[in-house]
Amino acid sequence: MIEPTPLQVTLETVRFWAIVVLLGLGVFFTLVSTVGVLRLPDIYARAHTASQTDTLGAGFALAGVALAFGWQHAAVYTVLLLFFVFITNPTAAHAIARSAAETGVEPVLAEEGETDESAADTEGETR
Amino acid sequence: MAVERLLVPLSDTVTVRQTVGYAVQSGLERADSLECHLVVALPYDDAVPESARQREDADDLLSRARNWVEEDAGDADVTIETATLGADEYLFGPRDYAEIFDDYAAAQGIDRVVLDPEYQPGVTARILQPLERELDRIGLAYDEAPVERSTRRGRLTGSEDFDRLFATFMVSYGFYLVLGDPTYWFDLVTGAAVAGIVAVSLARVTFSVPLDRVQSPIRVVRFALYIPYLLWEIVKANIAVSAVILRPSMPIEPTLTQVDSRVRSGLPLTALANSITLTPGTLTVRATDQRLLVHTLIPAAREDLFDGGLEKAIRFVFYGRESAAIPSPRERDDAEIVGGDEL
Repeated sequence: MIEPTPLQVTLETVRFWAIVVLLGLGVFFTLVSTVGVLRLPDIYARAHTASQTDTLGAGFALAGVALAFGWQHAAVYTVLLLFFVFITNPTAAHAIARSAAETGVEPVLAEEGETDESAADTEGETR
Repeated sequence: MAVERLLVPLSDTVTVRQTVGYAVQSGLERADSLECHLVVALPYDDAVPESARQREDADDLLSRARNWVEEDAGDADVTIETATLGADEYLFGPRDYAEIFDDYAAAQGIDRVVLDPEYQPGVTARILQPLERELDRIGLAYDEAPVERSTRRGRLTGSEDFDRLFATFMVSYGFYLVLGDPTYWFDLVTGAAVAGIVAVSLARVTFSVPLDRVQSPIRVVRFALYIPYLLWEIVKANIAVSAVILRPSMPIEPTLTQVDSRVRSGLPLTALANSITLTPGTLTVRATDQRLLVHTLIPAAREDLFDGGLEKAIRFVFYGRESAAIPSPRERDDAEIVGGDEL
């Protein structure tokens, strides 16, 4: 076995920690998204934060995976995987929101400063 | 002496010449004297950069159509009026077209509308059927010109179909080789076979709009430029939303907004709606024609949406740099906060 040179050792260390940081960020955003799903009031608001898991959560995790694979064919797969996640995620989020709208789920809306808006809101809530 | 007044909406199609011919012929059969109103409906208003070019195209089409009518009319008593409609408003869908035709018809005392079966105003998809439904609803009499369409198919099929087949083949072959091994002969052969089957069976489904040999590759390059911008927007929005969610007081301000986007239906609109949904904080709930109903979670996301950064970027991808420089939805009054009743 060939002794690794010091430069290779440092590069490996940098890569190791970069992978750790990327995975950590991925886990962090997935956690935030979970907290959001639990805390937010209605289906529309939850759909926003659910997409965080797919965008940055999966994004950072897959970036970490690509880095761990290094310069080889499998790394290309992770990029493709991310690409398809980015195409399917908004489609699914839109489908959920739209079906909620179509089944008549009323969104929880903030009280606006303008009078006509708040009037419309309260009217929506009393019904 | 009876006068027949006809309204003929024109668009630059292969069948427009035959439509004009039919309008003149059928009009003169019904009455001795014909008043032929040739109109072009402009889909965009003046705020959009390409409206100037569209106006020139419209004038050009109208002057050509005027010559056709004169040619077909011969000695008969035919008066020709030309007009461009919808220059001061943005036309969203079949209903808007039907309404401006109805306004014009009421003002000019039109008896009948003669429609080109391929009628396609602006760059949107063909709208004949929904337009006819709207005209039925409004109660404006119309007539679809019987035209021979075989000429169109015969003439354009060759190169258009080849482009679609070629593009589908190359995309699927490329994808196959990325998944496989581009240096292994077995993958090269099976890839070609699979891509061939995919191209033959799916080319028409994949590309519903004819490809342009110069523009389409440029769009792909521009789309590649768009991806880093979109990723940056996603990261920014993610951090903003995460900060709001993690704060104990959770200062969210959910609102429903309605944005009239200025991109064509189909792929550009899908790209825009999906980009909006992909950035946390904004979620497309509905898309009707070019009108998007967007749920926003925090004020910052709403401001970004009203500033129209993504819309400009999508316009850059599909129409080029000059077209990207349009006023933001807020400036052109196309963005508003709506109540929950709009769902």
